Amino acid sequence: MDTVSRKIERLINLTIALLATKRYLTKTEIFNSVEGYDGTAETKERMFERDKDDLRSLGIEIEVGSFDPLFNDEAGYKIKQEKYQFELGDISPTEVSLLSLAAEAWHEASFGDVAQKALLKLRSIGIPSDELSIPANVHKLNDGGQDLSLMTKAIAQSQCLSFAYLDSGLNINARSIVPIALSTRNGFWYLYGVDQEIQEIRTFRVDRISGAITVSKGPKDFEAPTGFDSSKTHLESPTHEYALIDVRVGKAASLRALAVSSQSLGEWDQIKVPILNLESLCSIVLWHGPDALVQEPAELRNLIIEHLEALVGNHG
Amino acid sequence: MAKKFSAPLERTARLLDLVPYISSHQGISLKELAAVFKVDQAQMTSDLTTLWMCGLPGYTPLELMDLEFESGFVTIHNAQTLSKPRSISFDEGVALVLGLDLLRSSISPDRSDLLERIDSLSNRLAVLINLPTALSATSQVNKDVSAAISDALKSRMGLEITYHSLYRDELSTRTILPIEIVESDGHIYLSSYCYQALDFRQFRIDRIQSATVQAVPLEIPKTATEQSSYACTIKVLTPTRAIAERFKKSDLSVNTEFNFQTYSLQWIERSIMASGGAVCLNSPPDVRKSIAVMAQTMLDRYKAR
Repeated sequence: MDTVSRKIERLINLTIALLATKRYLTKTEIFNSVEGYDGTAETKERMFERDKDDLRSLGIEIEVGSFDPLFNDEAGYKIKQEKYQFELGDISPTEVSLLSLAAEAWHEASFGDVAQKALLKLRSIGIPSDELSIPANVHKLNDGGQDLSLMTKAIAQSQCLSFAYLDSGLNINARSIVPIALSTRNGFWYLYGVDQEIQEIRTFRVDRISGAITVSKGPKDFEAPTGFDSSKTHLESPTHEYALIDVRVGKAASLRALAVSSQSLGEWDQIKVPILNLESLCSIVLWHGPDALVQEPAELRNLIIEHLEALVGNHG
Repeated sequence: MAKKFSAPLERTARLLDLVPYISSHQGISLKELAAVFKVDQAQMTSDLTTLWMCGLPGYTPLELMDLEFESGFVTIHNAQTLSKPRSISFDEGVALVLGLDLLRSSISPDRSDLLERIDSLSNRLAVLINLPTALSATSQVNKDVSAAISDALKSRMGLEITYHSLYRDELSTRTILPIEIVESDGHIYLSSYCYQALDFRQFRIDRIQSATVQAVPLEIPKTATEQSSYACTIKVLTPTRAIAERFKKSDLSVNTEFNFQTYSLQWIERSIMASGGAVCLNSPPDVRKSIAVMAQTMLDRYKAR
């Protein structure tokens, strides 16, 4: 048998031995009883250290302890069953189906691989699943090519994330945040975090992060802001400025969707739209061409006129 | 992206997961087992052979796992130690919690039984992997719409939909035969045959405002073809993130010219308008001209006041 297979066999035998034992096993006992530890004392020692690291990297926790707390005995090892096993408590067939559907939401996205592995473990519990008639095949998740687990881990541990972020002028800015939430909206992932430079919550669209994200230790005394709700940050407008825009009846649906009020003027409606970002509102108005006409404020009117003049000049 | 292990560790993990899976699926065929674990049958045979040699210290036939391997069907005995599935990893937990959250947004509020189960599972998983509850995945899709799409796909029926076309900026009612759900650039589309267009069309699911299942002739006329596309040339005057995202170009600089294919002249016209002075459309010439005319008309209206 080749060395790779021997190593795999040894790792499995070690896992079985450490799981089956009720008390801690010493290294000597392990070397004497677990198949696969051969060679000089030094070789065995090295093998064992590497094997322990390998099992840990697979998520298997090895406990270190000693037989008798009163004596400074040789250290022993074991794996606790309850830590090794998938323990979700009593689980019903309906719940198995729900979890399967949750895993399938990832579809072919790269996180899907992980989800499938979780699903496999779930099926190994041996509980059949219910046929659920819920429309779950409609939505699919993707990870936008970024490492979502790195972000969620950073949220869990209040780590600091540094990355290059593309601003609206296509400039790359270095940002450092302590992330507090992650969500999807309209097919994009958004990461929320406390910007370390200004100490305020900022939102980042994950696909606008350029290149790799660096993880570092977060500030010691970090406390996540209370009362933060990612589902509200998109709706709340930090502005009290509004634009008045005339839109043709039955037209400009995506502009109407932004409006807080609407008043009929016959062939036209006048809508009131909060100004979150002048440039992007200008762009939406221009998208609707002759179906939208800005009345107020002058600042927005002037910006539109400026762009229209450029459009005429460039295309004339 | 999932963490990748080295090949031997990947295989060790698979072997550890194989034991509980076989234990709960006694008599499974080798073929099916290989498919479930996404390896070929030769690899699965080799995995099982390795497992055969593993067991409790002592390694007499009594302590070894008993694998039976009869005419392509696999059973396992004497594997109590490993017979429970391994605990889930942080990544696996995150994938499930996010998936559950998405699921929650697609279940109708009158199924409070299911919603309760989802909340409970989500909390139990979060505790298990020590996750703060700060993850959310929501969907913009109307629940009734997603239910109707799902029904139509399952029962091979048609749909009557009201659709908001962003390019035409109008609501239209269409009868379609949905074919499949596809994902592209972060949006979910329903790929369908449209009986109004007499052709295949893709509808963005979040723009379908209502949908009802309907009987339709299931044959698709052979004349249906792919839409023809138009070639455009666009010159960049001011590189902005909005331009980069709209035209899906990453390396923009002043005066670069790029080609762009579009299926809708209305889309390109509106996109150039929305880009204002940042880009200039060089071709097709008739679209270029109509942009100039439209911009002049609008300008006259603004100046008239």
